[in-house]
Amino acid sequence: MSFLGPLLIVGFIGLTAVLSKGKKNSYEIIVFDEAKLFDGVLRNNEKYHLKWAPEDKNYNQVQEIFKSDENLDLLLYLPSNLIKTNSMTAKCLYKAIPSSSAQKHLTSIINEAIELYRVNQNQINIETYKAIKTRVNLDIIDVEDPENKNIQRKGIIGFVFAFFIYFFILMYSVQVMRGVIEEKTSRIIEIIISSVSSFKLMTAKIIGVGLVGFTQFFIWIFVITVTSVLLLNNLVPDIYSSTLQSQNPLTVNTGESAQIIEFLLYKIHWPSMFIFFGVYFIGGYLLYAGMMAAIGAAVDEETDTQQFLIPLTIPMIFALSMISSVIDDPSSSLSFWLSEIPFTSPVIMLVRIAMGIGPSSVEAWEIILSVGLLFITFILTTWLSSKIYANGILSFGKKASYKELFKWLKS
Amino acid sequence: MPVRNIIQIEDIHKSYGNYKALQNININVKKGSIFGLLGPNGAGKTSLIRIINQIITPDKGTIKINGNILEKKHVYQIGYLPEERGLYKKMKVGEQAIYLAQLKGLNKIEAKKRVRFWLEKFNIENWWNKKIEDLSKGMAQKIQFITTILHEPELLILDEPFSGLDPANSELIKKEILDLKKAKSTIILSTHNMNSVEEICDEAAIINKSKKILDGKIDELKNEYSTNRWKICYAGNKMSFTNAVWGGWKLESHHSLENGTHIAEIELLEQLKISDFIKGIVSHVEIQEVARKTPSMQDVFLNVVSNE
Repeated sequence: MSFLGPLLIVGFIGLTAVLSKGKKNSYEIIVFDEAKLFDGVLRNNEKYHLKWAPEDKNYNQVQEIFKSDENLDLLLYLPSNLIKTNSMTAKCLYKAIPSSSAQKHLTSIINEAIELYRVNQNQINIETYKAIKTRVNLDIIDVEDPENKNIQRKGIIGFVFAFFIYFFILMYSVQVMRGVIEEKTSRIIEIIISSVSSFKLMTAKIIGVGLVGFTQFFIWIFVITVTSVLLLNNLVPDIYSSTLQSQNPLTVNTGESAQIIEFLLYKIHWPSMFIFFGVYFIGGYLLYAGMMAAIGAAVDEETDTQQFLIPLTIPMIFALSMISSVIDDPSSSLSFWLSEIPFTSPVIMLVRIAMGIGPSSVEAWEIILSVGLLFITFILTTWLSSKIYANGILSFGKKASYKELFKWLKS
Repeated sequence: MPVRNIIQIEDIHKSYGNYKALQNININVKKGSIFGLLGPNGAGKTSLIRIINQIITPDKGTIKINGNILEKKHVYQIGYLPEERGLYKKMKVGEQAIYLAQLKGLNKIEAKKRVRFWLEKFNIENWWNKKIEDLSKGMAQKIQFITTILHEPELLILDEPFSGLDPANSELIKKEILDLKKAKSTIILSTHNMNSVEEICDEAAIINKSKKILDGKIDELKNEYSTNRWKICYAGNKMSFTNAVWGGWKLESHHSLENGTHIAEIELLEQLKISDFIKGIVSHVEIQEVARKTPSMQDVFLNVVSNE
């Protein structure tokens, strides 16, 4: 799993790239230009190859040609009233639905053609028009910290971290539970606890599995980095090739990929992301692993764990589902509470931290409070879990009920 | 003065909620002896064993080992084979035995040496790399026994050590238990197998319904519960035998052998002594053998448990 997991992730990304290569890479499009205004104006290229319908055919006849000619993929109908107002509709008839990037491309070249037509009609110099045409980007900037802008975009990175922390916490705490069940069902437990105390055994198991988790986490980072560099370098740019091809000569080139790289390299504070990933993984894992150990001790086989697992995993799943609300408003009271409650904080706080530490997302004191609460709760739950654990591991042959768990807690 | 008892159990009480598992238990186990801990299911034996192993704590009372209050450090002096036992199924025999020995305080090198010694002794050295799940139940039981004694414990607690073993392996384990006794180990044996108690135990205690109802040396227990029953072998006429003494005795059984010898089992009642009975019959039949019938531990056990 240490190597297979990250290889699978990289493999699937690679597979996506390879499969994307196999998708339709050119369209044969017949254009029915009713007003005959766009010949030579509508931008033609190899990927979206435009072919004008015979001039003597009407729309119905062109439709017949389109249907009968297997080579044609799309019929683009530009009605004569298209240039009359700014909100007319062109039509695109298909045999197999065109990709959304193809749809975007067609919309953009039609808009571009209408604009060019109007530029000519109004005898405006094309260079002047280019100078006038603008595309405004609205930067949302923190007044206290001008460097801290567009934090919602950073939330996406937070989402990735949140997903991984959820995955790692659940994976390793379930591993603790399985270990306990194995020791109980194989009946070796009584031999072990005649040598070490049940509390020592439980904490040693939690720490041991946690260290395995950390080791595997570093292996994951290493394998993903190495394989990404080796495998994906040649594949990934192809995904964006269609976007690059459809660039409009009239729009201002904003250098999107360069922006993404700049964003990833300089706008995300990676050291704090990794440090807090570590801190919240340790806290979250210890919190959940203690409770999972108690569940493992309370049951006789894994199939009996369901009734206890559901209430335990719901807070984490709920936290995942709330990420979009948190990204939308990272300093709301919902975001605050979800990042302070220990059962959801490992997931939510990472999203807020990714969006920047400061007044616009999360203040330092909120992080300190959240980490403090997480660790206090971990100590409390581990103490309670150890009571269930100590009683549960010696109780064979019956499925513990909640009533029984409370009885053990009181013992 | 050297301490004679390795274990002194003093006034132990243990309850689970309202259920009293042990009440006022006082038992002494002598050094170098094999001590049988007997009792019906649910009597409290396992609770007592778990308390000695410090798996659970008593509500009241103390346990001393070699005269000192039982502490965590004493786990290295105790070997425990529980009734509910097993091993890690996916782990190999060798590494598992080493791991369990390390838990009992041995270093890895010493543990490895001892595991090798025991596997060779049992002629199973080629099992080293076998996984437990690939062994039969009996084979796994052997490994389990080895892991219990690897650290050469001063006190060995065996809870039903013969369950799941075939007669050959039972004999093997029995022999090892006796060898361990010779090597000055003390063994507490909890079992339902009364034959083995009689064969190997020096002393025993019976626990029933959470209380100790009897303890002492095996011979003394048997004598204490012996009835006034006698086996008499004689040659002669059965009628002469039965009519020789009038009253004060009861014929329990009688059977005749082909060579003319008869074997009678009698119970003397009230004041009649065996010498008076023999005086009465000696002129009527030829007496060949007179022996007192001692009860088996099974008889003692059933007697005391049914009287409770």
